[in-house]
Amino acid sequence: MSVYITSTGAFLPGPPIAVEEVEGVLGAIHGKPSWLRVQIQKSNKIQTRHYAIDKNQQTTHSNTLMATNAASECLDRSYISRDKVGMLAVATTQGDHPAPGMASMVQAELGLPELEILTAHGICSSSMMALKAAWNSLRLEEHEAALVVSSELASRLLKKQRYEAATKSTFAEKSVDFNTEFLRWMLSDGAGALLLQNRPAPKGVSLRIDWVRGFSHAHAFPTCMSVGSAGRVDDERTWQDYDTYADAETAGALLMRQDVRLLDNILRMGVDGYLRLAEEGVSKPAEVDHFLCHYSSHQFKDKILELLDAAGVGIPEERWWTNLYTRGNTGAASLFIMIDEFLRTDEVELSEGQTILCFVPESGRFNTTYMQLTVVKQ
Amino acid sequence: MIGGVSNISKSNQEAEGINLNPNAQKCLQQLLRVWLGFERDLSTVPLLRRIDLGTYTIEDHLCLLRNLRQQVIEGARWITRAASSFDRNHAEIRSTIISHAVDEHRDYELLEQDYVASGGKIEDILGMERNIGSEALHGYLMHRSSRQNPIDLLGAMWIIEGLGEKMARSWAERIQELTGLTEDSTRFMSYHGHNDGDHMLRFYAMLDEVCVDEMATSSIVKTSKVVARLYRLQLEEVEHGLE
Repeated sequence: MSVYITSTGAFLPGPPIAVEEVEGVLGAIHGKPSWLRVQIQKSNKIQTRHYAIDKNQQTTHSNTLMATNAASECLDRSYISRDKVGMLAVATTQGDHPAPGMASMVQAELGLPELEILTAHGICSSSMMALKAAWNSLRLEEHEAALVVSSELASRLLKKQRYEAATKSTFAEKSVDFNTEFLRWMLSDGAGALLLQNRPAPKGVSLRIDWVRGFSHAHAFPTCMSVGSAGRVDDERTWQDYDTYADAETAGALLMRQDVRLLDNILRMGVDGYLRLAEEGVSKPAEVDHFLCHYSSHQFKDKILELLDAAGVGIPEERWWTNLYTRGNTGAASLFIMIDEFLRTDEVELSEGQTILCFVPESGRFNTTYMQLTVVKQ
Repeated sequence: MIGGVSNISKSNQEAEGINLNPNAQKCLQQLLRVWLGFERDLSTVPLLRRIDLGTYTIEDHLCLLRNLRQQVIEGARWITRAASSFDRNHAEIRSTIISHAVDEHRDYELLEQDYVASGGKIEDILGMERNIGSEALHGYLMHRSSRQNPIDLLGAMWIIEGLGEKMARSWAERIQELTGLTEDSTRFMSYHGHNDGDHMLRFYAMLDEVCVDEMATSSIVKTSKVVARLYRLQLEEVEHGLE
């Protein structure tokens, strides 16, 4: 049973925010401009991004609402009625509620009755987890159509008040705490949606899903990107172990951190996974027509290019396509937002039978995920 | 020698002049995967995980150096033994290996100086026995290098030299930062980054010469896997006594 992506949708909240406007939205911590902002923004090269908070750091769109908007656009563009959707899979790093799962909330907003739901919780690669589950349910012929949505609202974690409240954290102690501040200038908000069906759309371009694979290396590496602990080696508590949530916040256990020293490992494991797929004959680098790679920052693009080339499985740069620079790094939502625009852009001409390789690495605890799509035209 | 995939970008630029035959290309890809798995699994070795986590101490450093010395001494022995096991049909590779051995066969002296500079007593490092993993690694390498034309040892060189380059790239400075020790304590580690370019070219040339069929590929790759596992065993054993 072949499964196809037959429709897509995306939602980016508010206006595009330029490089120099970012701190105005997230807020200057204690009123002081960041020392690291320019440096980090220069290396990630993201020119514009979107936030679901306003300049007073008030939420303008909930995560559920963004997911719903992307899903609605996707369904509106499709050739099927909503009642054909048998499954809703939703991926996010953090839903609006710790419980229940975000798929329940999105289902309610969309008003889709009596369907199967799945919430995939992780970071960037959670989108692939949700997509794989939906793909498999169609392959098992349990449903005719499944809607997969990924949505991120990172800015609520990155606003100035979070850092100001962490008065006993590593961030408060150090004059520069790169690991705690790094993601502040990297991540932004948005949502994407894909409709999966057991047949191609009657008109236009569909994408057949050939395979989805993932390799996680959490058994070997320490955590690299996380929320929920204070970022001190000798303190094993996670946020709910503190007496009060206020204590957890004061200790910095609710700040988002990236151990930047460990980041290189995700690139290496990314190449390892691709070498494995090439060795198995699952993917043939020479036959990849388009490469949609979710890299979080421009600085990693060159490294991935170099590593793949050196390993003899290089994909020429002209086959790479991304909208990171204009839509921002929206974590789990990035790939779907990328696919949505890729299908509409004039920059690329798609023809029948072309192969698209998608790659979503997740630095959280080193998960690498890959997917191959084939262009089908009706 | 080659830096595994650890210095992969450099390796590629420098390998551009060499067109590897298809078997050697395939072998190189498999070696890259063995290296990446080895490098990943090093993160599970408690002493090395402390470098990742930032809790590595001077005591850890002394312990690591004490344990590495035997490996370095034995390394000079198996490599010269391997050179003597190549017959006249392999004169080129024999020359390469001999000159590599000349480069590195007294590296352990550097390591001893690092040990003293880190506050250790020279008699402690000189009196250190091979740990359990070093015994296994040394035994295996001497056995393989005693066989006629042991081309599979390219797989061993790939891992061991790759680790040397990794020490230079990601351990030396980090260890100084974490322990307050100076460059004088990590010379052995840093030094291995320097000759990397030349070694890389030599490695590619050797691989192209000897890796001409599937049998050669599989023997080189298998030896790289065994050496990776035994090297990790050696590092896992650094904190275990011999009692």
